[in-house]
Amino acid sequence: MQRRELIQSAVTTSALSVFGAALPFASSFAQDRFAKYRGSTVVMSIPAHPHYDAMLKLLPEFTKETGIKVEVDKLAVPRMKDKQLLEMAKAQGDYDLICYVVMWKGEYVKKDLIRELEPFFKNASLADPGYDMKDIVPGYLENMGLVGGPKGYLAGPGAKLYGLPYGAETSILAYRRDIFAEHNLKAPETYAQMQALLPILKQKTGFGAMTSRGQAGHQCVHAWLLHLNPLGGKVFDANWKPVFNSPQGIQALKFLKEISDSGPAGIPSYGQGEMMTAFLQGQASMYLDATVIFGPVNDPARSKIAGKVSYVAHPKGVRYSSQSGGLGLAIPKNAKNADAGFLLMQWLTSKAQDVAVCKLGGGPTRNSTMVNADLVRQYPEYITLKEQLKYSDPDWRPIIPEWDEINIQALGVAVSEALTGKKTAEEALNGMIPKVTDIMKRGGYLKS
Amino acid sequence: MAVACLYPVLSALRLGFYDWSMGTPWSSATYQGFDAFIRAFTDPAVWRSLYTTLVFAFVCVSAEMVLGIALALALEERKQKPLKGMMVFRTLFILPMMIAPIAVGLTWRYLFDAQFGLLNALVGLFGVEPIGWLANEHLAFTAIIIADIWQWTPFVFIMMIAALANMDTSVIEAAKIDGATWWQSVWLVKLPMIQNVIVITLLMRLIDAFRVLEVIYILTFGGPGDSTEILSLHIYKTAFISQRLGSAAAISVMLLMVVALLSWWALRLSNPLKDKE
Repeated sequence: MQRRELIQSAVTTSALSVFGAALPFASSFAQDRFAKYRGSTVVMSIPAHPHYDAMLKLLPEFTKETGIKVEVDKLAVPRMKDKQLLEMAKAQGDYDLICYVVMWKGEYVKKDLIRELEPFFKNASLADPGYDMKDIVPGYLENMGLVGGPKGYLAGPGAKLYGLPYGAETSILAYRRDIFAEHNLKAPETYAQMQALLPILKQKTGFGAMTSRGQAGHQCVHAWLLHLNPLGGKVFDANWKPVFNSPQGIQALKFLKEISDSGPAGIPSYGQGEMMTAFLQGQASMYLDATVIFGPVNDPARSKIAGKVSYVAHPKGVRYSSQSGGLGLAIPKNAKNADAGFLLMQWLTSKAQDVAVCKLGGGPTRNSTMVNADLVRQYPEYITLKEQLKYSDPDWRPIIPEWDEINIQALGVAVSEALTGKKTAEEALNGMIPKVTDIMKRGGYLKS
Repeated sequence: MAVACLYPVLSALRLGFYDWSMGTPWSSATYQGFDAFIRAFTDPAVWRSLYTTLVFAFVCVSAEMVLGIALALALEERKQKPLKGMMVFRTLFILPMMIAPIAVGLTWRYLFDAQFGLLNALVGLFGVEPIGWLANEHLAFTAIIIADIWQWTPFVFIMMIAALANMDTSVIEAAKIDGATWWQSVWLVKLPMIQNVIVITLLMRLIDAFRVLEVIYILTFGGPGDSTEILSLHIYKTAFISQRLGSAAAISVMLLMVVALLSWWALRLSNPLKDKE
């Protein structure tokens, strides 16, 4: 059995154990499960993000349907965690529902800050019998929701569901169909082809070949990981020993430097916003990053390239592999209205609302959404996305509580220094091994 | 007042002896002795950050003091020959100080933007290729200095213009009668007379330069590499990203010692409180 099949089987087992319990409940419960909470208010912590911008437009409908009011606290992603930690550390917090980034799930569970979801789905008065958990993309569900399994974050024995994907994403290659056609070029299927295209595109078009993130910290590490995994590298080996300075790690960093040098000016300072804007404003011919780009490409207020973009799978290095990550929803342990928060989470991630949020520019969470005929007409790229998700790697990055420190204060410095040319790729990555080893020893993963 | 000032310092000192992560109860904190202090003093990243902070503070505060004093001297109230549009100038000069630091950071980020920034649009008029201002460690460091000077020179200007306005004009008139030139009356009369205000302003700017966080957070987030990671940003990252509150507190104590040392040095130059005794 392939690893992919094993993962899907494990996720389905975890999901079924949760959802199977909810299936038999009588629909009479479903009809008035909101009645008890009518007039109450759910406070939700959300990021400034295209998916959640689309979600905001759905909330009036939720209130109309259920009588539950929703207040949102919208913050930039990096500031959201500080605020959430402060709120969730109180005896009773202000948040009833939080959006979290995949990297935070292990830490939140370890600190006992969020609730396991199985009791909610087992609660006949809350669970929606029509909620088809199996329909949620298994890779998303595993990556965003499961904690306690192998490595602490993968599907398998011990894994429990703590969150649901909402704004989850994978990586995909977007390219300018018009430019490729004009110069008689073919979209790359492999890393070798993609690498060969960089100087050609730069020379033929006179502007950036590919856009990329590059700002010090999380952003440049995200960009490096996009190439590390397909090229066959990993951050740690099976025993948590740092191996990111392997030949594959160095190759990935050198490739990222080539992208930076042949891309639009200023990549080492680009966050996600600048990286997307460069592509949307026609400053780059290719984009290899999160699928969140689907909506903005067609938004006339943000994009000059609507109707000129096609998508292909994340090119193959030594293997096909694409990012797993993005955003999910969880219920804080100290929520005042946890049940109402669950009802909102369940409503937002239902089949109908998943379709609705996509129509407004959000991203799909469910398999059924990706084959919805109306949506496929609106977003033909869903066909590529569905194929791409087969290669989404739930072990894309180590989702351990120590990852933020490694990501931002160690690798985020090393990768950035290589991008600006201050250090070679080898010097930068080799130089960070002692620091990361020290962090892993402190975390108890390696013996002191 | 003393309690209000001392309590946070003592709390930080106490926190430095514990390993405590955000989002967990204080009861879960573990005593770690001097570990955090030893780690802070032996961590090359902390020393790099301290060096960056000292260079940043020295360049910014020096430039702000010189520019602020020069502007104040140029725009001070002249009873006999008042400059036209003085009020407009004064209002314009103090505007940057009134803007929230986050807005300042965003404004400069857009100005320095490699693709759509005003600076690249201007150099583009001369046929220069777009420059990644925030993508090069030297240019990025220059960028954070420019932003700080732009924002805080007005503070020095206000302090100086107030001090000059309160000066005893008879002394200046006496100097003029004695035949002093403009330069002589500035160097030998005006600046010595407002020396106490200059020192207090220098002290306040110095302390502020060590505390600046928001503008650099928005502009560069400490990058490229860690070339613009001043100590307050390093403390922020240690506390809120690495979740090592004890270590962050230990580095904060280190920062406090540096600032106290510099303040002591500045007060030795001229201590207004001592003069009044």
